[in-house]
Amino acid sequence: MAEVKVKPEVPDPMDIENRIIELCHQFPHGITDQVIQNDMPHMEAQQRAMAINRLLSMGQLDLLRSNAGLLYRIKESQNASKMKGSDNQEKLVYQIIEDAGNKGIWSRDIRYKSNLPLTEINKILKNLESKKLIKAVKSVAASKKKVYMLYNLQPDRSVTGGAWYSDQDFESEFVEVLNQQCFKFLQSKAEAARDSKQNPMIQRNSSFASSHEVWKYICELGISKVELSMEDIETILNTLIYDGKVEMTIIAAKEGTVGSVDGQMKLYRAVSPLIQPTGLVRTPCGLCPVFDDCHEGGEISPSNCIYMTEWLEF
Amino acid sequence: MTQAEIKLCSLLLQEHFGEIVEKIGTYLIRTGTQPLRMIVSDTGLLLDQVKKALCVLIQHNLVTYQLQKRGFVEYEAHCKRVLRILRYPRYIYTAKTLYSDTGELIVEELLLNGKMTMSAVVRKVADRLTETMEDGKTMDYADVSNTFVRLADTHFVQRCPLVPETPESPDAPPPPAPTLVVNEKDMYVVPRLNLVGKGKRRRSCDEEENGERKAKKQKQDGESSEPPADDGIYWQVNIDRFHQHFRDQGIVSAVANRMDQTSSEIVRTMLRMSEVTTSSGAPYTQPLSSNEIFRSLPAGYNIAKQVLDQYLTLLADDPLEFVGKSGDSGGGMYTVNLHKALASLATATLESIVEERFGSRCARIFRLLLRKKHLEQKQVEDFAMIPAKEAKDMLYKMLSENFVSLQEIPKTPDHAPSRTFYLYTVNVPSSARMLLHRCYKSVANLMERRQYETKENKRLLEKSQRVEAILASMQATGAEEAQLQEIEEMITAPERQQLENLKRNVNKIDASENQVDETIFVLESFIESTVKKP
Repeated sequence: MAEVKVKPEVPDPMDIENRIIELCHQFPHGITDQVIQNDMPHMEAQQRAMAINRLLSMGQLDLLRSNAGLLYRIKESQNASKMKGSDNQEKLVYQIIEDAGNKGIWSRDIRYKSNLPLTEINKILKNLESKKLIKAVKSVAASKKKVYMLYNLQPDRSVTGGAWYSDQDFESEFVEVLNQQCFKFLQSKAEAARDSKQNPMIQRNSSFASSHEVWKYICELGISKVELSMEDIETILNTLIYDGKVEMTIIAAKEGTVGSVDGQMKLYRAVSPLIQPTGLVRTPCGLCPVFDDCHEGGEISPSNCIYMTEWLEF
Repeated sequence: MTQAEIKLCSLLLQEHFGEIVEKIGTYLIRTGTQPLRMIVSDTGLLLDQVKKALCVLIQHNLVTYQLQKRGFVEYEAHCKRVLRILRYPRYIYTAKTLYSDTGELIVEELLLNGKMTMSAVVRKVADRLTETMEDGKTMDYADVSNTFVRLADTHFVQRCPLVPETPESPDAPPPPAPTLVVNEKDMYVVPRLNLVGKGKRRRSCDEEENGERKAKKQKQDGESSEPPADDGIYWQVNIDRFHQHFRDQGIVSAVANRMDQTSSEIVRTMLRMSEVTTSSGAPYTQPLSSNEIFRSLPAGYNIAKQVLDQYLTLLADDPLEFVGKSGDSGGGMYTVNLHKALASLATATLESIVEERFGSRCARIFRLLLRKKHLEQKQVEDFAMIPAKEAKDMLYKMLSENFVSLQEIPKTPDHAPSRTFYLYTVNVPSSARMLLHRCYKSVANLMERRQYETKENKRLLEKSQRVEAILASMQATGAEEAQLQEIEEMITAPERQQLENLKRNVNKIDASENQVDETIFVLESFIESTVKKP
């Protein structure tokens, strides 16, 4: 009788790796050590560790830490090819920049996170930029600051300033034009409502325009080359409120109605100012820049005030 | 009393009452309550002059006296009351709009004389009106009395405090100064007078009337020998009531600007109904039911009850918050929110001043800060959509003029500037006080300029007055046309032009003093409403 030796199957190292990769694909959020162990219970811990290490060094797996322990996640394949030829430091910096998402990250922050000296960082950043993996974007808040982000990402609004900034310049004329257009629209609506001479409730309700209506009107006008969202229009309408020309109320609206956000709708209405320009500013003293220096018998006094003389000759 | 207020008071006193009164008035305002001896010694005037000046000031309600415990009398000047002199034209104009010429003249006489008895007022006003009427017509005393009674009923004039009727006590010496008491109930009660007569026309020379006049004069002498029936009952103008009226006017016009004419009429009706029931310092009027309002609407407005209800609901829901709903009985109880209205008017005044002085973008930032209370520099730029450099410039300019203030919030205990939040904020009552002070100084400046202009052209004015006097006398004696022409030519054409200019300038300055006074009124009412009464 021949001895049948049950040879423990030594799984092929390549198989282990492929199996792990398949598992990673199955769970794109990442797999823990426990999951791999459950799948291949006969595998020894040492072999498992070797396989994982090999995958990591090849750049096919990502190592992440979560509160349950360590997670392994599959890395995107095209990135895996890009990083070939870069050394670990560059990979580290690249990973930090990637994590910053579309807000970008400042060079000093990269230095803190990676603990690398400044000269190294600069060299690496230049390298990555020449490889067209990252790009530098000037921040609109502090014009000297440059933030780095991945090449193919769109910079976030807070960095470029959104619709109101074009190439780091605040477009004041654009804002002014929009301001006036919105105001004219609301004003004409209010006048139409006033002329209709109906029941006051209806009159008032028809003089309101929701932010959605204003947005549609501005889009149709086509004065903006940039696509404007409803929040942008709302910021413009807010400036009109601060000009004292428009007032706003919020009403509860059904979820389904057009333009409602979270069950509310903002309505805007053109109003005229509360009082006429007040008496003090109709005299030269109200607007005088040297008011505090003026007293009788001095260089500047009411008797020889040139502003008053001009005003009296009007 | 700030320097500006004292200066303005002294200018007003000088213009209306003369040097001596001005000196004493200013001294009392500056040093507070003083007894007679101190006034005499400090101002260096004669006792007689001081006494007369004090009489004038007391008569016009500008100075009050008080018996102190030690037995001497102290005099106190009321700076605020002196500043009201600036507002006299507005009071007279209001009386004219409400009660036509008769009312206007009654209020004018009372303001010019401080306190008067009713019969004296009626007589004087009738005389003045008769002068302006056409020949042959005279003003009846009854008309004037009626207007006077109406003024008293609506509380525009009130009785002055009286000397109380004390029983004669021969033992106790009479007190050096009587304590005046005023009976609340009788303040607006008009004494029953039998004033019969008509206004007298004053003719300088009219032979026909001479005979008539002599007869009338005798009768008048007979009348004046007996004291008039209301001797001792003096009347004065009720300034608070006029202020209430101005405030109501301000609220109504604000509502008209913001909403429409009908809403403002409704608010005016509500305010009119609360005129005599609400005290002037109250934050809300008494609640009025919608039925009452409907009944009290002016006759010309026939709007249906439902429409009225809709207007009231709209007013109550408006972001202005002038009208509030306080209950549902009687078809809905509504009140006018007076303190809120005053605050809105004052804020609107502040905003208009900022807009005119610094520009509309600064006004945008100002209103933004008013709404959001505290903001950082960056947030101001974002909300107002103004480029950073300009926003910074404007904020600093407003900060230097004290319209805006900074609030520091340190992050670290050592208050290091790089680690501190700096928030911009607007403090409305303090800005209002600052602007009020500026208004006082502006009015003082305008008055000084007016006096300067008049003084510059004094020579010319005197000359023109002389010429007019000569002309008048020559016309009276029946001179020829040619002579009149010659006299008129004494004033050359450029001089005439100069006179025209002077008149125009003085009128302009006068009008602008009144306009600044309107601002003063709004700001003062607001500040008063914010002061907590004990």
